[in-house]
Amino acid sequence: MKEITAIIRRDKLPDTKKALDEIGYSSMSIQSVEGRGKQSGAICAEMDSEIPMSYCSNVKLTPTPSSYAIEHTLPKVALYVPKRMLTIVAPDEVAMKLVKEIIRVNMTGKVGDGKIFISPLENAFRLRTGETGCDAIV
Amino acid sequence: MKMIRAFIRPEKEQEVVLALEGIGLPSLTKMPVFGRGKQKGLQVGPVHYDELPKILIMIVVEDADIERIVKVIRDKAATGFIGDGKIFVTHVLHSYTIRTGEEGL
Repeated sequence: MKEITAIIRRDKLPDTKKALDEIGYSSMSIQSVEGRGKQSGAICAEMDSEIPMSYCSNVKLTPTPSSYAIEHTLPKVALYVPKRMLTIVAPDEVAMKLVKEIIRVNMTGKVGDGKIFISPLENAFRLRTGETGCDAIV
Repeated sequence: MKMIRAFIRPEKEQEVVLALEGIGLPSLTKMPVFGRGKQKGLQVGPVHYDELPKILIMIVVEDADIERIVKVIRDKAATGFIGDGKIFVTHVLHSYTIRTGEEGL
């Protein structure tokens, strides 16, 4: 068995659920998490000094190192991006199919699409009937 | 690859995150959790707290970085009192970046 942990955009969750439903694996756990990726902790913060007077918008967002933002107590610091984390346990042979489906649905090509991790899982139990192994999850 | 799940004190979260950023590992996922350890919660006078709030930080890294990260988290999150938390390391077989569909961190 494999455990698939997918961290995806919040607004893609309904599409992902529908897509997984259609290929027959609808069971999953969903969690609300926050996080950030390898964009070196760069965040978008409002930096007043860099806003030119002629700038049409009153807020200019600049990528800023988070440590700088904390030291200087910048307003509107968004250190982490809210995401949804799906945890799916699937038999070995369908794990790759699910991963491909999640990638297909969630790929927008922009930074922040998320990550998928696959880890091995030893055993599973269904509480209601006491089934073990693959019987418990399909 | 390995997945590190660190349960740390909520007030130490920012320090740990900045330290990890300092050694070049900015990526992480965090979530608030509640739980208890082998002291069965916390007894303060007549009041018993069964479940204490913690922050769960989840990081996936290459095998070689494990010791370094565990050391950094311990340096920043350890106070010497009970309730400092735990670190668990599990195996990860594959990882995919959804934006490109490629394998790898």
